[in-house]
Amino acid sequence: MARMKFLCDAERCIECNACVTACKNEHDVPWGINRRRVVTLNDGKPGERSISMACMHCNDPPCAAVCPVDCFYQTADGVVLHSKDLCIGCGYCFYACPFGAPQYPQATNFGGRGKMDKCTFCAGGPEADNTPEEYQKYGANRLAEGKLPLCAEMCSTRALMAGDGDVLADIYRERAVRRGYGSGAWGWSTAYGREDRGRAFGPGRSGAGVGTSGS
Amino acid sequence: MLVKRSSGKPARGSLSRTLTTGIGAPVGRRGFLKTSGLAAGGMAALSALPAAMIRKAEAGPTIPNVETVTRKNICTHCSVGCTVIAEVQNGVWTGQEPGWESPISQGAHCAKGASVRELTKGERRVKYPMKLVDGQWQRLSWDQAIEEIGNQLLEIRQQSGPDAVFWLGSAKFSNEGSYLYRKLAAFWGTNNVDHQARICHSTTVAGVANTWGYGAMTNSYNDIQNSKALVIIGGNPAEAHPVSLPHMLRGKERNRAPFIVIDPRFTRTAAHATEYVRIRPGTDIPITWGILWHIFENGWEDKEYIRQRVYGMDEVRAEVKKWDPATVERVTGVPGEQVKRVAEALAKNKPSTVIWCMGITQHTTGTANVRALSILQLALGNIGVAGGGANIYRGHCNVQGATDFGLDVTTLPSYYGLAEGAWKHFCRAWDVEYDWMKSRFASKELMEMKGIPTTRWFDGVIYKPEDIQQPSPLRAMVCFGHGGNTVTRMPEMIKGLEKLSLLVIADPHPTTFAAIKERRNNTYLLPACTQFETDGSRTCSNRSMQWGEKIVEPIFESKDDYTIIYLLAKKLGFADDMFKHITVEGTRPVPEDILREINRSCLSTGYTGQSPERLKMHMKHQADFDKITMQATTGPLKGEYYGLPWPCWGQPELRHPGSPVLYDTSKHVMEGGGVFRARFGVERNGVSLLAEGSYSKGSEIQDGYPEFTMAMLKKLGWDKDLTPEETRVINAIGGDKVDEVSWQTDLSMGIIRVALKHGCSPHGNAKARAVAWNLPDPVPVHREPIYSPQPELVKQYPAIEDRRDFRLPQLARSLQFKISDSDLRQKFPFVLTSGRLVEYEGGGEETRSNPWLAELQQSMFAEINPKDAERLGIRDGALVWVYGPENNAKAKVRALVTERIGVGTVFMPFHFSGYWQGESLRDNYPPGTDPIVLGEPANGVTTYGYDPVTFMQETKVTLCRVEPA
Amino acid sequence: MRRKDEKTGIERRDLLKGLGLGAAGAAAAALTTAGAAEAAETPQEQVKSRYRETDHVKRFYALNRL
Repeated sequence: MARMKFLCDAERCIECNACVTACKNEHDVPWGINRRRVVTLNDGKPGERSISMACMHCNDPPCAAVCPVDCFYQTADGVVLHSKDLCIGCGYCFYACPFGAPQYPQATNFGGRGKMDKCTFCAGGPEADNTPEEYQKYGANRLAEGKLPLCAEMCSTRALMAGDGDVLADIYRERAVRRGYGSGAWGWSTAYGREDRGRAFGPGRSGAGVGTSGS
Repeated sequence: MLVKRSSGKPARGSLSRTLTTGIGAPVGRRGFLKTSGLAAGGMAALSALPAAMIRKAEAGPTIPNVETVTRKNICTHCSVGCTVIAEVQNGVWTGQEPGWESPISQGAHCAKGASVRELTKGERRVKYPMKLVDGQWQRLSWDQAIEEIGNQLLEIRQQSGPDAVFWLGSAKFSNEGSYLYRKLAAFWGTNNVDHQARICHSTTVAGVANTWGYGAMTNSYNDIQNSKALVIIGGNPAEAHPVSLPHMLRGKERNRAPFIVIDPRFTRTAAHATEYVRIRPGTDIPITWGILWHIFENGWEDKEYIRQRVYGMDEVRAEVKKWDPATVERVTGVPGEQVKRVAEALAKNKPSTVIWCMGITQHTTGTANVRALSILQLALGNIGVAGGGANIYRGHCNVQGATDFGLDVTTLPSYYGLAEGAWKHFCRAWDVEYDWMKSRFASKELMEMKGIPTTRWFDGVIYKPEDIQQPSPLRAMVCFGHGGNTVTRMPEMIKGLEKLSLLVIADPHPTTFAAIKERRNNTYLLPACTQFETDGSRTCSNRSMQWGEKIVEPIFESKDDYTIIYLLAKKLGFADDMFKHITVEGTRPVPEDILREINRSCLSTGYTGQSPERLKMHMKHQADFDKITMQATTGPLKGEYYGLPWPCWGQPELRHPGSPVLYDTSKHVMEGGGVFRARFGVERNGVSLLAEGSYSKGSEIQDGYPEFTMAMLKKLGWDKDLTPEETRVINAIGGDKVDEVSWQTDLSMGIIRVALKHGCSPHGNAKARAVAWNLPDPVPVHREPIYSPQPELVKQYPAIEDRRDFRLPQLARSLQFKISDSDLRQKFPFVLTSGRLVEYEGGGEETRSNPWLAELQQSMFAEINPKDAERLGIRDGALVWVYGPENNAKAKVRALVTERIGVGTVFMPFHFSGYWQGESLRDNYPPGTDPIVLGEPANGVTTYGYDPVTFMQETKVTLCRVEPA
Repeated sequence: MRRKDEKTGIERRDLLKGLGLGAAGAAAAALTTAGAAEAAETPQEQVKSRYRETDHVKRFYALNRL
């Protein structure tokens, strides 16, 4: 079965931020929450490269590992989602995440963070697909509509790709051959290196037994 | 059971640190997100908004059980022309999808395009007509606003004549809006009508049109995929035209093409270059001649091409000879070896293309810069060739169209000029008497005289009346879709604004004009809607026309441009004549009908075949077009090129396919082929100006030929091919001078049809001009900027002599010498240059009002090299004052310390406004319309300096001083 | 663990401070607490596969190969 991944081709990314505003547009993400960001390395120097970053939907998601209320779950597509009803906004996942993906709607003097928010791979959350309830809490569910994340679909230079990891790896290989060099798929070993593919597991204590197994 | 995926040790690889802190030094301008946050005023305004205005009316993009309608329009943010797919429910734009089928954008967007849905939420838009009374904004009705504005205009006309009103149009108009606005100015009786092209590519249009005939990009974005080498000089398309990059990068990857970026700044585009050349700002001609020096020296030029198709290359050789590697290095700072590498890459990887933008055009030598690059491409035989070309990226979404339709102080639509013949042509097309039209003007002389351009409208207000070559200084400005921070010398612009009796702004946003505190009365704001709230066509940079469909009705009380223009014309008393052949539904002229009038009259640019019906078919069948050639390979449009890129000759029924590559002799003229235009005569000093032995495929005249007239048809015996109806029209136009009727004035289009039938181009077949004898510098020569950072070079490469043009005096050499002889250089030790950012457009009001974009760039900044910053004790992110050398100008901005900019140079983006010399102007905007992000305008410190041919402003080289604030 | 990363942590909190203020964020937070029980999926539904290789998706892959 297909395993959903993101792949950002740094040779193509021009830091135009289409992915960022496409995400804002699709989910009406409020000011201050950035499910996706573009990061530039060696800014202004030869060798400058940019990469679009969001939750990578890791094989063995460290966020889920540290979550004290087990609000995370991973779908059969490999997409890592979470329940905002269960989330207590503790922020552990933010510390655990190698990509800085988790976002919080507010920060107060007393450390209250509100419910965590992050990229859903345009796959909504634990509410029924494409209901107003799901949209209000998690945004659109494009995957259920037979589409892919809008950030990748609208990418100006086809740098950011989303979809079946095997297809993306093929496309990237073709590009490397055409160019005569390749700089590696950024973040892949961190996100997808531990196992061949992610396996589904359910959310919270009530989710016990769903999916195939723990580690 | 607790489901744990691992024992709980968080993964914290080096990637994490990289992403959150960057490598070593700060993360660049996005770093401001964390260091500066949002300015206090913006924050306050944002939190004052009711939450419901920030979110959509309903829950999400898909409201369950509500019908979704899909509509297709074109992005309004640049000239690439990306398709926008809108999902509409209950009349609200609720979702945006990728337009996969677009041959141009193929579903892609940049930050701006991916956020256009916000424009029709428009919480920061002007919501109803307003007027400024003693510094306070008062709401009024449309009727009252038009009544008051009209009465004042008529009074000014009565007292001071029609030329006292300046009509500023917009590159954000549709083609139909542009044409209508030009027509409005004509019916009002003035040539004081202009738009943004003056400040973006006016010098390109003048430069290339004077070289080979037409003022436009010769090839297309898509065609760059055929290029074997690319030079991008004075352009940063990765930020300005992001969706051109997929085409460029595919060319680079697939052809392993050298990707050369020549720029004073290591831009986001340069980051992808195989060779980056840093030049001193303002030395574009020296670098170009330096490249050409190697080409001539090594015999790499295309000698046969030059012999057949180029006039005057020997005179260029003489000038180029002066630019040996040592001289080039002394003036530009570029090492000789690197210049040679670039020359060789271009010459040995053909076809090679040259791409340019504002870094070439916005100079006192703008037209000459353009000409130099054009000549370089001619020497290499790269013009008229797929994969070659002068790929000039226009700026706004319809700046090409607005230019083509004459929002320009020098011409009527379609570059007919202002001479009597041009007026007579349009009077025939408009079905009005020439004498009546003449009576609308103060005099025949003023009717045929170039107007005052937008770069200097304020000089037309504040200069002494005797210095302004018209009966009265400007007293009113009617401004559609144009930022107020886009012209240089803003301190003087503000004086002009203060003195102007009437100011009318028709725009979705209030613009900088409305926020200037010195002006306290008699400014009117008319809410114009965006192009997503109306329909009409726009012309992309590659000359393709795309029809945009109305997505939603105009929001709040806004109206579309057509309606506002109609209301003004009606109040001013000439609507019946102006709309004689255009259907008006209620108060809204029908855009299809306007386009049909364009099709009937704009013969000279080949804007005749693109009927609304054909354009709509193209939008419907986008999927049938090849993604590189842009030709339909299947379906009902098979053989046509996407968007019927002009020239699309003859009546729509002729089904000309459009011209994907200009001047391409490898194709028949009826298949989109062409030749250089004969518009400068047939002979000069005994040398033929017509092509020699070069002609487009299938031409019955197998040599050069002049443009087609009745006299020529008769001579060839081809007049017999005209139909009786065509002959009747030609006779009616010609009267007793039938022989003089030309392809440009024959409203029957019979002459064009017959020329094409014989495989000939109606505009003749000439040589391109390496020497343009009608320009101030017939062969481009280097001239130091007015504010030259190298005074020692000024005497050797002086500016042009002071002169007069466009009804105004122009200072050049006297000012330059005065500056170079003074100690100004010591007081202002930095070169100041300007440019653009991906998330904002133009003056920036619209994009800085869009929260999805505004969040990405919350501070105005100035880039400064680490060495300079260290010397001055300026740390990254700190506030600094940038001082300009005129009018005690200054701007308070954040320092962005980066190697992106060279030592001794400072860069500022030009999209900001709403701060003035350290002070916020937020309270001056009408409540609720202030853009989220405000900042100091770069043009607050830019200075005097104009191109002699178009009065283009110098924005790329001046001097400044930077001090910690 | 906390202490060790304190330095980075502060920096990140600063980042949040810069980004996270404003009414819009607060509004979104308020919304998320208003759950609608009847819309919830069963655990099995939550983890089921949703991806399908539709024409839309195939078109996306094809464009990426250009």
